[in-house]
Amino acid sequence: MQSAWRWLLVISLSASGSQANANDWNMPVGVTDISADIFGLHMTIFWVCVVIGLVVFGAMFYSLFRYRHSKGAKAANFHEHTSVEVLWTAIPVLILVGMAVPATATLKNMYDSSDAELDVMITGQQWRWRYEYLGEDVAFNSNMSTPRTQISGAETRGEHYLLEVDEPLVLPINRKVRFLMTSDDVIHSWWVPDLAVKQDTIPGFINENWVKINEPGIYRGQCTELCGVNHGFMPVVVHAMEEEEFEGWLAKRKEAAAEEAMGVDREWGMEELAERGESVYQAICSSCHQAEGQGSPPAFPALANNQQLIEDVDWHLDKVINGVSGAAMPAFRSTLNPVEIAAVVTYTRNAWGNDTGDVVQPSEVAELIAQ
Amino acid sequence: MSPKLPPQPHVQHSTTAVADGQSHAHPAPPKGILRWLLTTNHKEIGSLYLIFSLTMFFVGGIFALVVRAELFQPGLQLVQPEFFNQMTTMHGLIMVFAAVMPAFTGLANWMIPLQIGAPDMALPRLNNFSFWLLPVAFTLLLSTLLMPGGGPNFGWTFYAPLSTNYAPPSTTFFILSLHLAGISSILGAINIIATILNMRAPGMRLMDMPLFVWTWLITAFLLIAVMPVLAAVITMMLMDINFGTSFFNAAGGGDPVLFQHLFWTFGHPEVYIMILPAFGIVSAIIPTFARKPLFGYASMVYATAAIAFLSFLVWAHHMFVVGMPLVAELFFMYTTMLIAVPTGVKVFNWVTTLFRGSISFESPMLFALAFVVLFTIGGFSGLMLAIAPADFQYHDTYFVVAHFHYVLVPGAIFAIMAGVYYWLPKWTGHYPNERLAQWHFWFSIIGVNLTFFPMHFAGLAGMPRRIPDYALQFADFNLLSSIGAFFFGASQLLFVLGIILCVRGGKKAPAKAWEGAEDLEWTVPCPAPLHTFETPPVFHRTSH
Amino acid sequence: MWSVVKSVLAALLGVQSNQKRQEDFSSGKPAAYIVTGIVITLLFVLVLIVLATFAAR
Repeated sequence: MQSAWRWLLVISLSASGSQANANDWNMPVGVTDISADIFGLHMTIFWVCVVIGLVVFGAMFYSLFRYRHSKGAKAANFHEHTSVEVLWTAIPVLILVGMAVPATATLKNMYDSSDAELDVMITGQQWRWRYEYLGEDVAFNSNMSTPRTQISGAETRGEHYLLEVDEPLVLPINRKVRFLMTSDDVIHSWWVPDLAVKQDTIPGFINENWVKINEPGIYRGQCTELCGVNHGFMPVVVHAMEEEEFEGWLAKRKEAAAEEAMGVDREWGMEELAERGESVYQAICSSCHQAEGQGSPPAFPALANNQQLIEDVDWHLDKVINGVSGAAMPAFRSTLNPVEIAAVVTYTRNAWGNDTGDVVQPSEVAELIAQ
Repeated sequence: MSPKLPPQPHVQHSTTAVADGQSHAHPAPPKGILRWLLTTNHKEIGSLYLIFSLTMFFVGGIFALVVRAELFQPGLQLVQPEFFNQMTTMHGLIMVFAAVMPAFTGLANWMIPLQIGAPDMALPRLNNFSFWLLPVAFTLLLSTLLMPGGGPNFGWTFYAPLSTNYAPPSTTFFILSLHLAGISSILGAINIIATILNMRAPGMRLMDMPLFVWTWLITAFLLIAVMPVLAAVITMMLMDINFGTSFFNAAGGGDPVLFQHLFWTFGHPEVYIMILPAFGIVSAIIPTFARKPLFGYASMVYATAAIAFLSFLVWAHHMFVVGMPLVAELFFMYTTMLIAVPTGVKVFNWVTTLFRGSISFESPMLFALAFVVLFTIGGFSGLMLAIAPADFQYHDTYFVVAHFHYVLVPGAIFAIMAGVYYWLPKWTGHYPNERLAQWHFWFSIIGVNLTFFPMHFAGLAGMPRRIPDYALQFADFNLLSSIGAFFFGASQLLFVLGIILCVRGGKKAPAKAWEGAEDLEWTVPCPAPLHTFETPPVFHRTSH
Repeated sequence: MWSVVKSVLAALLGVQSNQKRQEDFSSGKPAAYIVTGIVITLLFVLVLIVLATFAAR
């Protein structure tokens, strides 16, 4: 009974408390010219439907009320009227032509990705996005950062529950950015409502789309094509910055990438590798193999106390670098850099009772990848 | 007036049907379960189809309630994502292939011979076989839930490569069960076409047939055209999974998008397979309770044909965001917008049939009227989805879920319920309990709108479909939908209760159970004896 | 000929009068309607393709 009252409260609150923005109810106008055009089309066709609906349902309910059998209505016997029929065929055709013209113009605009000033490769993976700034040597993965404890309800859910990532895609405003989109495994779909960009990422194929953002801000979306167990946990976050700020960010990322590349050649200690490995593991591996390496068989084998893994370091490296064909395990040779692979393998071989004591050096991994 | 046409004036339907159902020409049927296993009688097979479909409606409904229960509030409470995906997939598959399609086939089995004055279906043994394939197929499908790795978890549209290289091991069983269901549909369709084309009463020409028969004739041709495409696509999946081919595997030179083209070549006509017979039922019920002939009978037949034909030219509107070339996007946008025209014509015809009628509101009529309104709302959102640029925002969100549930639940399923209430007197000899039926109607109306209307808002606000957990701003919509879903589900128990009570007793119905009913089925007694029209009736044209 | 084309076009839109329908069913040959139907279908698709190609330019 108490919970019933709580529902009523929630319903009445949500009905009265909707003074928040229109985004809660309707499609967002968004922050690009295209998204505003689409919003316009959406509202136009919506009102067209409302008007037609009022006329048709109005006529229907009038007839239902006026010609009730119980009020002694006598049925007429007409059953066709060609000119009326032609008319009500012609009017919808005209309305549809009227809709098709602006829709065609908008669609042409959406398909014109020429003259882009920046190319970003977006790769879908079970279950994260990888962003690569083409020609800039900057690439990173973007994983959901909402902790599992919030999903299970052990911890209070934050404001951006399920719509937050460890590293957002950073883009400049007022600049035409072209997206090249593909996938490493199954079909995903990259969507940010405020940018009105939704495009399937398809393994083996590259799709194009583009965006020119008008306002700085943080825009959130999600994967919209069912892509497996964690389809619901694959958010997209775009951080749009002023152009100078973006240039600064990009320069810093380039520097960090160069530093990381240098790190491949030096000798790493167990401690630092395991520490780095733990964060890589939690971001990349734990969605399938679980936080404590316990896996969820049969699809995702356990890593803790996995005898084959413990005994054979070469086998372990091969699976991480090259993946398992025909199974869900992807190849990480291009998704993670040698330092990250070495770190996560070292971590896995020494965590949760896998006390092998092995240390895998980034240089070894780099060699394996080069082969 | 052509000399070849029989005279036009109103003549009463002949009542040549014999009431002595157990006529000695027929051997006594086997007793017990064997009677149902071996029956070749169209009425008994029709009942089997309807009972099977109703059972599966509840099975699929329970899956939907698992989904809605998990989505009741944010977070994961009841089921894990792996099982959630199996539930959404199974809900879709069961509702499409085991609830809606067999329900229409069941109605066709019962009513088509009665409406055209035929003694039975043209191919009675085939009829038995096509029914009994279904329990086998769906037992197999449901059993995959208990297999290691679980049942199908890739959505009812089973897009490759999620359904091939990344699918659970049970997928091969899923393919086999769909093959069986497909064979059942094709055989059923052949039987219906053979019956309609060969066994009409003397004097009944195609353009004299009731619209339910017409829409089923066209549906049957659609089935024969597209079920083999489904069979082909699942066979290609089978090969990819088990024999190392790469039809849909890009790494082997295949094309995942090819899967979608093939699937929707089947899938879009399939949508019309599930709605055209509904049009037929509503076109029978509205004139009956408006006591006025259907407006634009010829237009309705032509519009049905036009919809069927256009349904083959619109498949890629399900794929606006897969990256098709601009010309293809435009082509499919135009064809999709055009399909609204013949569909609109049908709605206008129904409304005009009501105009200057003499309307009463028995339960079949209530469901039929709700169909007209709510199906049209589903049509409106369909029109919005046809606008390709806007579809980039709508695609794969709850807006789409709202759209197709509006055309399928208060569309197809309400039409089936309308048909059941309309023909129950013919089947059982008793009127259904009207008060119970009215409660069922009003509860269903409230439940269906409470469930599906908020989904429009959730989708527009940005909630993708097929997710087990969602961001906090979608919480209110999902709460309402979940409450509505449980309310709707529970109120369907009234439907079952009404049917059981009606079978067991109730007000006796005369042969012509509804005052305004015109078609041939109302010339045989209520309940219709096991064998009807053993001597073909002479059909006299009324005023279509 | 023109009457056949008109009937098929009416079918495409879903508009037809009873009188015209009865004329068709008493005088026309089915083959003529089927052939005309197929030709008009192809023309329809072709026109839309041309239209889409033109619009995409």
